Amino acid sequence: MGLRDRAAIAGVGYTPFSKDSGVSTLTLAIDAILAALDDAGLGVDDVDALATHRVGDSTPPWVVAPALGVPEVHWYLDQFGGGSVSHAVIGQAAMAVAAGVARTVVCYRAINARSEFRMGGTGRGVAPVFDAQYQAPYGHFAPPQQFAMFTRAHMIKYGTTHEQLGAIAVTQRAHAAGNPRALKRDPITMEDYLASRWIAEPLRLLDCCLETDGACAVVVTSAERARDLAAPPVLISGAVWGGGDSLLSGQGGDFTVSEAARIAPRLYAMAGAGPEDVDVAELYDCFTYSVLVQLEDYGFCAKGEGGPYAASGATRLGGPLPVNTHGGFLSEGYVHGINHVAEAVAQLRGTAGDRQVRGAEVALSTAQPGYVLAGTSALILRADR
Amino acid sequence: MSLGGRPRPQPDRDSAPWWEAVRRHELLVQECGDCGTLRFPPRAICGRCRSRRSAWAPVRGTGRVASWVVNHQVFLRAFADEVPYAVLHVRLDEADDLFMYGDLTGADPADVTPGMPVRAVFTDVDDDLTLVRWRPR
Ligand SMILES: [Zn+2]
Repeated sequence: MGLRDRAAIAGVGYTPFSKDSGVSTLTLAIDAILAALDDAGLGVDDVDALATHRVGDSTPPWVVAPALGVPEVHWYLDQFGGGSVSHAVIGQAAMAVAAGVARTVVCYRAINARSEFRMGGTGRGVAPVFDAQYQAPYGHFAPPQQFAMFTRAHMIKYGTTHEQLGAIAVTQRAHAAGNPRALKRDPITMEDYLASRWIAEPLRLLDCCLETDGACAVVVTSAERARDLAAPPVLISGAVWGGGDSLLSGQGGDFTVSEAARIAPRLYAMAGAGPEDVDVAELYDCFTYSVLVQLEDYGFCAKGEGGPYAASGATRLGGPLPVNTHGGFLSEGYVHGINHVAEAVAQLRGTAGDRQVRGAEVALSTAQPGYVLAGTSALILRADR
Repeated sequence: MSLGGRPRPQPDRDSAPWWEAVRRHELLVQECGDCGTLRFPPRAICGRCRSRRSAWAPVRGTGRVASWVVNHQVFLRAFADEVPYAVLHVRLDEADDLFMYGDLTGADPADVTPGMPVRAVFTDVDDDLTLVRWRPR
């Protein structure tokens, strides 16, 4: 059982997404948090906890809380890490609520990932320490390079094709057409995909997410209390964070299996649901490949069949498993994971407009599947009806 | 071609002996003193039997290409003259779960194939740094 349905998401908020916000990550965090509180029908005076994750690129809770004028902080989380811990932040907020340590947690991620701190290290580089010391001297340190290595391994073992990766990019762009927030809404074709330039072969430009300035926040409170607030509650039915291998270092060795394969059984057990119950999946898509491998590792198709499954159209709106209905990081924008959670909430509230999955009751939302830090995190969310 | 502008590794207290060996053109891994498991990167304990006993063991410097990337985008100026260049993930011949990274030398990136046999070569970058690179064999 664990945390099943004990906490809920009561509000979501966004800043606009752009290539240059012109403001600090503190301002982005404040704007997203205030929007999320407003959505929940709450105010700053109701907040008693804050949670975020960062990699030296954002503003921590102990700066945001006094800036907002939070009366008293009962708990906060300043989690080190990138996309792989994005959903762990919300899972830990649910734990804090379930434990009675906190009552109203605002979870946020605020980044100027294009104008200030680019993940590719452009302009800043990555310190060649820990296991990076064995890779950085070869110019191997940027996320597209790392994921290209994993993608190639999958191609070698299972015959995964460029067109199968391309199907993911094309599908998500089509989904973004229905999302006014998306940075890229013009459709792309398979020809466009195949003509896009190599970044790190086998990944092309259109395999890569959009470096984005922006913030997103969600309000976590108890399920019971959420039912009395302004927005329909979305229950946190499963919340898991774990794993073990650091595939980056080569320990564990098999790049074709992500840490999602390891946490999926615990996640489904906690939620009392299985892959067949998931109506919509927002799968971490720093690159097309991470979607493909998660389709396998969360059990939507057999191992090795992620490519054919994606190419079959199954993940389109109207298909059996719509994936990344907002366009994902590839087309909506990259806020490092939390915007997947926010989209899942919209789907479960039934407020996703042109991209609504009809009757969606169960959503899976996932973090970077454990290829860089040793682990991943994910949530199963459920409509409260 | 000078490799001097590349990011320099910052050896730590676990890895310093490995980098010093590379400086001498020796390729080492750790061998557990109890269960015999070979391991890399360097660690103080064996992840299999938790023994703290280990010795540095030379490997032949041969392996096969497990995966690879051909870089086109220039992420660091130091590599501007090298693109397109290949970085290999090499499975060492000594064990199935023993891998090292390194760039390809002595061949065209387009000629890399899965399982391609490669051999470690040592490039002295300057007085303080030697890098392991991989050449087809
Ligand atoms: Zn041992």
